[in-house]
Amino acid sequence: MTERIRQVISRNIWKENQVLRQILGICSALAVTNLMTNSLVMGVGLTFVTAFSSLTISLLRNLIPHRIRMIVQTLIIASYVIFVDIFIKANMPEISKSLGPYVALIITNCIIMGRAEAYAQKNPPIPSMLDGFFAGVGYTIVLLIIAFFREFLGFGTIFGYDISFASFELWTIMVMPPAAFFLIGTLIWITSNIFAPKNTKKSETGRKG
Amino acid sequence: MFGNGINPFVIFFASILTSNMILSNFLGMCSYISISSEYKTASGLGKSVTLVMVITNMINYLVYKFLIVPLGLEYLRYIIFIMVIAATVQVMELAMDRFLPDLHVKLGIFLPLITVNCAILGTTLFIIIRDYDFLQSVLFGLGSGLGWWLAISALAAIREKMAKNKLPKGLAGPGITFIITGIMALAFIGFSGIFTIT
Amino acid sequence: MKGGPVYTVIFMLVISAVFTLVLSLANAYYLPQIEENELLDDRRAVLYVFELDAEGGPEEVLELFENAVVSEMLADMEIYAHLDEDEQVLAYAVPFTGAGLWGTMRGYLGITPELDRITGLVFTEHNETPGLGARIDEREYLEQFRGLEITGELAYGPAGDDRLDAITGATSTSKAVLRILNNLIDRKIAELEVVLDD
Repeated sequence: MTERIRQVISRNIWKENQVLRQILGICSALAVTNLMTNSLVMGVGLTFVTAFSSLTISLLRNLIPHRIRMIVQTLIIASYVIFVDIFIKANMPEISKSLGPYVALIITNCIIMGRAEAYAQKNPPIPSMLDGFFAGVGYTIVLLIIAFFREFLGFGTIFGYDISFASFELWTIMVMPPAAFFLIGTLIWITSNIFAPKNTKKSETGRKG
Repeated sequence: MFGNGINPFVIFFASILTSNMILSNFLGMCSYISISSEYKTASGLGKSVTLVMVITNMINYLVYKFLIVPLGLEYLRYIIFIMVIAATVQVMELAMDRFLPDLHVKLGIFLPLITVNCAILGTTLFIIIRDYDFLQSVLFGLGSGLGWWLAISALAAIREKMAKNKLPKGLAGPGITFIITGIMALAFIGFSGIFTIT
Repeated sequence: MKGGPVYTVIFMLVISAVFTLVLSLANAYYLPQIEENELLDDRRAVLYVFELDAEGGPEEVLELFENAVVSEMLADMEIYAHLDEDEQVLAYAVPFTGAGLWGTMRGYLGITPELDRITGLVFTEHNETPGLGARIDEREYLEQFRGLEITGELAYGPAGDDRLDAITGATSTSKAVLRILNNLIDRKIAELEVVLDD
């Protein structure tokens, strides 16, 4: 694997952003995006889990029997998620309350399994960990962009800080679920327009990277 | 009357319409987006999800009440749930192949996909967090499954109709799918208020 | 060897054992802290309904609670009482439980010793939708209840003298809150009145 770290970063954060380009990991992504703080914690949690499960799976990649690899991957991912859940409960009780069951849903977030299958299975530990880490960072950035619009327009705050100097009528719709769909649809529209001239072929080959 | 005073039938209808797994809880999005370009396939997936949802939630409920809680293994519950889901899907596939081959031909291809459908684990987690009793859990699982089926079928039907429409550059595919879903979610908000909890 | 059934089973057992062990250790390590958080949360909730400063650090909160609050068994409920320097009761915090839209809601209602005015309302547990029903936790909503006279049924909008506003987009949750509170006032507070009169 000759991919340099800069390539890993730009591939995961921009060129093949898991949410916007690969349309993965939407499930748990959108539900928490009406507040930026929750989105950030969720993103950091997912980044941690993806990085470490990719690392672990890559370390064990020559030991895992092929037939049961999905179950083993799930087990590893679930273990890290439980750890994150316990950690948030112990150190950030308020946030743990507001995220409700969504932390646990990181387990089924397709990004983690996707990175495990597509990358960690066939690459050495450190690149796998970096790949997982930056896939998570790319996810967090998208979450924060959506959350920024939803929190700013819906609650009139940013990261919970009042920004009442910019006084305007709050958009209740932004707080409600449909807004998340509209925003992510628009973001995907914008990004696919940016990539359109280069054609989809390029990202196809890059994906196997 | 009921464990926590909520009528199970209210839970049933609310989980189909007002608290739809996809449209208000964003669960099960991956397969919802990727397998919704054709009505027939989407509807087949919806049926399988409903079936798996009801069965796994029943099992997970019993496992939680009679195994996890008595043994004090609460902190391991996510692993146990996901393993139960994976195992149930495997067993169902085998059983279907053996006893209901017709159904297996129709739904079998979707079964492996369902293990990683977050809506399934999501309903289990909601049941545990909300402290539902057995009847409530079963109806919640059924309602959530039906709601998921309803949403994916509706989306697939719309997408089939739209397949030949000209769209602005870059909007075709996932972009427009999310916008349609947003409009569907808006429409479903209209259902809120039908159910009063008494 | 690799891929054989024996290897598969042994591998699965070993990896399960390793991860379970690690998680057990993490759980054991963090459990005291989680329990402390829960206690602190409860203490803060009680201080909040008594209009005391609940925002301070853990030690301040526990010290304040220790100095100003005592727990009493009245009318079959564990009620917290806020005492002034002369041991006079300033307010009671009555615990409540009821069905929300999605599950059990728990919290405290602060009430004057004459039982005619609400000093504060707080929720310690609920499962309402994040961003919608879960906004019952927001100060803006909770503060509306401070100083509210209990003259009849609590109601939103014009029906209740325009003192209370429901949460936009979360009508069912808002209604559930008032239903629980009215229920509490009708039954438990009435019982409490009898006990206090004696």
